[in-house]
Amino acid sequence: MAAPVLVLNQNSKRESGRKVQLGNVNAAKTIADVIRTCLGPRSMLKMLMDPMGGIVMTNDGNAILREITVQHPAAKTMIEISRTQDEEVGDGTTSVIILAGEMMSAAQQFLEQKMHPTVIIAAYRKALDDMQDLLTQLSVEVDVTKNEEMRKIVKSAIGTKFINKWANLACDMAIKSVSTVAIENASTGRREIDIKRYAKVEKVPGGTLEDSEVLNGVMLNKDVTHPGMRRKIENPRILLLDCSLEYQKGESQTDLELSKDTDFEKILQMEEEHVKRVTNDIIKFKPDLVFTEKGISDLAQYFLAKANITAIRRVRKSDNNRIARACGGTVCSRTDEIREEDIGTGAGLFEIKKYGDEYFTFITKCKDPKACTILLRGASKDILMEVERNLQDAMQVARNVMVNPRLLPGGGAVEMAVAQLMREKSKSMTGVEQWPYRAVADSLEVIPRTLIQNCGASTIRTITALRAKHASDGNESWGVNGETGDIQDMKELDVWEPLSVKLQIYKTAMETAMLLLRIDDIVSGSKKAEGKEGTSAPAPTAQ
Amino acid sequence: MMNIETQAPLTVAGERTTGKNVRTQNVLAASSIANIVKSSLGPVGLDKMLVDDVGDVTVTNDGATILKLLDVEHPAAKVLCELADLQDQEVGDGTTSVVLIAAELLKNADQLAQMKIHPTSIISGYRLACKEAVRYMNENLTIPGGELGREVVINCAKTSMSSKIIGVDSELFSTMVVDAANAVKFVDGKGVAKYPIKSVNILKAHGKSAKESILVNGYAVNCTVASEAMPKKIVGAKIACLDFNLQKTKMKMGVHIVVENPENLEDIRRREIDITKERIAKIMAAGANVILTTGGIDDLNLKYFVEAGAMGVRRVLKRDLKRVAKATGATLCSTLANLEGEESFDSSLLGHAEEVVQERICDDELIFIKSPKVRSAASIILRGPTDVACDEMERSLHDALCVVKRVLESKSVVPGGGTVEAALSIFLENYATSVSSREQLAIAEFAHSLLVIPKTLAINAAQDATELVAKLRAFHNEAQCNPKRRDLKWTGLELTTGVVRDNKAAGVLEPTMIKSKSIKLATEAAITILRIDDLIKLYPERKEGKSYQDALNAGELDM
Repeated sequence: MAAPVLVLNQNSKRESGRKVQLGNVNAAKTIADVIRTCLGPRSMLKMLMDPMGGIVMTNDGNAILREITVQHPAAKTMIEISRTQDEEVGDGTTSVIILAGEMMSAAQQFLEQKMHPTVIIAAYRKALDDMQDLLTQLSVEVDVTKNEEMRKIVKSAIGTKFINKWANLACDMAIKSVSTVAIENASTGRREIDIKRYAKVEKVPGGTLEDSEVLNGVMLNKDVTHPGMRRKIENPRILLLDCSLEYQKGESQTDLELSKDTDFEKILQMEEEHVKRVTNDIIKFKPDLVFTEKGISDLAQYFLAKANITAIRRVRKSDNNRIARACGGTVCSRTDEIREEDIGTGAGLFEIKKYGDEYFTFITKCKDPKACTILLRGASKDILMEVERNLQDAMQVARNVMVNPRLLPGGGAVEMAVAQLMREKSKSMTGVEQWPYRAVADSLEVIPRTLIQNCGASTIRTITALRAKHASDGNESWGVNGETGDIQDMKELDVWEPLSVKLQIYKTAMETAMLLLRIDDIVSGSKKAEGKEGTSAPAPTAQ
Repeated sequence: MMNIETQAPLTVAGERTTGKNVRTQNVLAASSIANIVKSSLGPVGLDKMLVDDVGDVTVTNDGATILKLLDVEHPAAKVLCELADLQDQEVGDGTTSVVLIAAELLKNADQLAQMKIHPTSIISGYRLACKEAVRYMNENLTIPGGELGREVVINCAKTSMSSKIIGVDSELFSTMVVDAANAVKFVDGKGVAKYPIKSVNILKAHGKSAKESILVNGYAVNCTVASEAMPKKIVGAKIACLDFNLQKTKMKMGVHIVVENPENLEDIRRREIDITKERIAKIMAAGANVILTTGGIDDLNLKYFVEAGAMGVRRVLKRDLKRVAKATGATLCSTLANLEGEESFDSSLLGHAEEVVQERICDDELIFIKSPKVRSAASIILRGPTDVACDEMERSLHDALCVVKRVLESKSVVPGGGTVEAALSIFLENYATSVSSREQLAIAEFAHSLLVIPKTLAINAAQDATELVAKLRAFHNEAQCNPKRRDLKWTGLELTTGVVRDNKAAGVLEPTMIKSKSIKLATEAAITILRIDDLIKLYPERKEGKSYQDALNAGELDM
C-alpha cells in the first residue's frame, strides 16, 4: 500500500527554491510599480477608497501603501519599510520603495544566472557601506540659523507635493513651527524637537489655503462654558488644572444612611461648600482664564463667572500640555496647591472665534511660545488631510536638517554621483561580487530615471546625457529638473535633500533587499506560536 | 454476520499500522522534516518565510523556530520538532543540525532493519556509538580552556551568526554579544562564574540600519515618563522600585463604612487623596529622584514629582522592574508598611545608577538606566528595516548569546564546519571493525550518518559535496592513522570557495557542549522513533447515531 504519509497539515502550502526567490523579486517590483508615478515634482495623486467607502487622496508613499491590502508576504514586508521610513525620518517614503524594488530586480538576473544569494548579499552589504561613506562625502554643511537656507531645503521637499502651489507659505509655516518647538537642552547640549506633541495641526474646513497660518500660541476646538464669561482678554493670567471643579464621590464605596431629614440638607450643603471652596482657591489667584481637563459643574461656572473668570472645560491632556508650554504655566492637579508660579502669563491675547459652525479658542501673541498650533484652512476635508500629510513631511525635513545640518543635491544628482563613483570602484574589485556591486550602482539610477519618466521627457537620451555629465569631474551636483525633464545643476536650481533622509532611504532599501533575498522557502498556513490549531483558514495564495 | 467480521478480537476505533510499515512511514516523515530545514544550515544557508493563518510573516533561519511554526501532523515528525525545541532550550543553538542528524540516523537504521536486523540491535549499536563518539570528541577534538582568549569567544559567536541574517555584520554583533555576556557575568556562592543571558535585555525598534544597533551599559525600559513636565535626564539617580499603585487609595472590595455624621464623608474623601500624597512625600524624603512603579500614578499626584524634579514612570513590567532592582541594588517594595505597622520608606531601599535618561528612538521613547551601581547590566537595541527583520535579528542574537555563555562557562570548544562530524565518522568506522557483535553494522551506519552535516553544508554552498566530503575524510583518516600528522584533525570545510582548510586556525569554533548535546539528543530521538512498531490512530469521537454516509460505507445498506 502506498498511502501518502501526511507530515504537515494539509492546509499549509509550501513553496521553495528559485520560485520563491523570483516570486519575492516580483512582489517587490509590483509594489514599487504601484507608487512609481508618485515621485518628483510632476507626480500625480492617487485616490484610494477603503472598504467603508472613505476616500484618501495622496501622493505620500506611506499613506498609499498603508491602505493597500496585499497577500504576498514579501509585498507586506515592502509596505512595512515605507512605514519605517516615515517613522524614522518622515520623508522619502516613495523613494525607499522604488529603490528597494529596483534593488530586488537587479538581483533577479544574478539569481537566474544561478549565483548564490549569500554572494549577492555580501556584495550588497559592501555596496551599502560604500554608499554611506560616499553620501557623507558628497554632502555639504548648511547654516540652519539662516532662514533663507532653510527655506530652500524645505521648498525642495515640498516641491513634489500637493501644496507645491503654496510653497512659500508652506515653507514658512514648516520652518516657523519647527523652530518654535525646538528646545536646546542645556544639560546635554542636545537639540530636542518634538513635533508630534507640541506642533499640532488643526484642520478647519472652509476658507482658502492662503488663510492657513502658524499661530503664535495654541488653538483649541472649545468654547467657554458659561455665556456670561468674557470672550476676549488681553494679557490673560492663565491657570491650568487637571482636576474637576465639581463634587466628586470618593473612590471607596460609601453608603449613606440618613435618619434625619435635616441630614439630607446638610449633605447637599456640603457638596455646595466643596465647590465653593474649590472655586475660592482659584479666585484667590485672580486668574482671567481657567482651563481644566475635567468637568466644571454649573455651580462652579456661576462662581467663576461672577469673579469675572473665563473657564473652559474638558480640554485634552495633550492640549493642556501645549498651552502650558505656550504660556509658561504649570498644570495643577489640586486647587489647594496652586501657587503663584503656576499661573501662566506669557500669552498676549485670548479670544473665541467662530469658524463655520464651530467656536474655537485662540491663545495667541505668546511671548516665548514653545508650542504652537498650525491652523489649516481649505476647501474640503480630503484636501486638508493631504495638506496635513505634506506639511508633516516638510516639518520632518526641517527637523532633520536642524538636527543634522548636512545636505545633498536632490533631483537624482546624488544618485548619479554615487553610481558613478561606485562603478569606478567596482572596476578594481576582484571576484564575482563585483557584478552585484555594479548592479547596485546601476539601480541607483532608477531615481533620476523615474523623475524623467514622470515628467514625460525622453528617458534614454536624458539619462545618457546626465551620465556623460557625471563622468567628468566637478559635475556631481547635476541632476534632473523634474519640471522640464532637462538636466541642470541642482546647486543653481536649489533642490536639496537632507543627508539623514537619504541615508535612511539607502539603508532601509538595501537591508530589505538583503532580507528578502535570503529567503528560499515560504510556508503559508503555519500555525501561530501558541498553537491555535484547527482554525483551518484557507492558505493565502501567492500572487 | 457482518458484525463479527468487522469486530476483530481487539476492537479499536481507529487505524492501526504495524511492523515494517510504521517504521518506513516514520522514517519518511522524519526525512521530510529534515528536508524542510536542510537548506538553512551553514554560512550559506538561506532563510524561510513563514506565513500563519492570520497572515503574519516570520522570516527565520533558526531550525527550532521554523519547526515550531510549522503545523506538523505526523506523530513521528512531531518528535523531531520537539527535539529541536529541546535543543533550543537546553543549549540554544545547533537546532538545525540536531534534526538533520536524527533524520539521517533513522534513515540508515531503516535500511538495516530492512536487512532483517532487529531494531534492538540497532538501538544498542547506536547507544554504543554515541557514547564512544562523545568520549572521543571530548578527549581528542576539544581545544582546552587554557587557550581560550577573548578572540576565541568572539569567533564562536561569529560562527553561530554566520548562517544568520546578521552574518554579514558578524564583526559588530559578535563583539556586542561577548561584551553583553561579560556585562551580566556574576560569580555565584561556589565561586563559579555564571552568565545569565536572560538578563541581557533585547529591545527592537525599526528604523536606521542593522549596523546602528547599540549595546547600552545599563537597562532600557520600554516606557515613558508619566508627565511631560518631568525631567528627561537625571544624573546620579536614586531609584525607587515600587510594586503598588500611586493612585487614590481605594478600600478593598465589600467594605462598608457607615458614617454618623455627613461631615465625616468629606474626611474620608480627603483622606483617600492624602494617603498617597503622604506616601509620595515619604519616598521623596528618602531622596529618591526616579520612581518606577508597576502600577499607575494618578494624574493628581504627578505634580509632586514634577515639583521635586523627579522622574515618575508608571506601568513598568514587573519582569523589567525586578532586573532593574537587581542591577541598581534597589529593593522592590510591594508595600511601605513596616513591622511596626506604620508606613515608612528607608533610603537603603533605593537603587543607584549614574544616569537615567529618556531617549527618542524611532518614533518611540525609551528610558535608559545607565551604569547601575551594583551590577553591570546590558541592553541591546536592535535596529533594522522592518519588524520582521528585527525579530529575526533578536533570535540570531539569542543563539549567539547562548553559544557565548556555553563557551565561557564550559571553557571548551571544538572546530566547526563539519570537522567534528568527519573526524567522528572516521573514528567510529575504525571502531566498528573492532566490535565483533551485531552492533558493528549499526555503529558503521552511525558513522555514516554523521557525514550528513558536512554533506549538507557543501550542498547548500552549491559545491561538489561528494568530492569535498571525500577529501575531508581522507584528511581525517590520515590524522588518525598517522601520529605524525595529527594536526590534520582540525581540517574542516571552507564554503565560499569550496576547499578544505584548518578550521581551528580560521576561527570557526563551536562550544563542545552544543556538539555533544546535539549528538546525544539526536541519538535519543532516533532511538525513540525506532522502538515504535505499532501505530494506532484513533478516529475522532463519533457523534451519536450513524449518518447515511457511515451506513453506506459500512456496507449495511447492501442487505
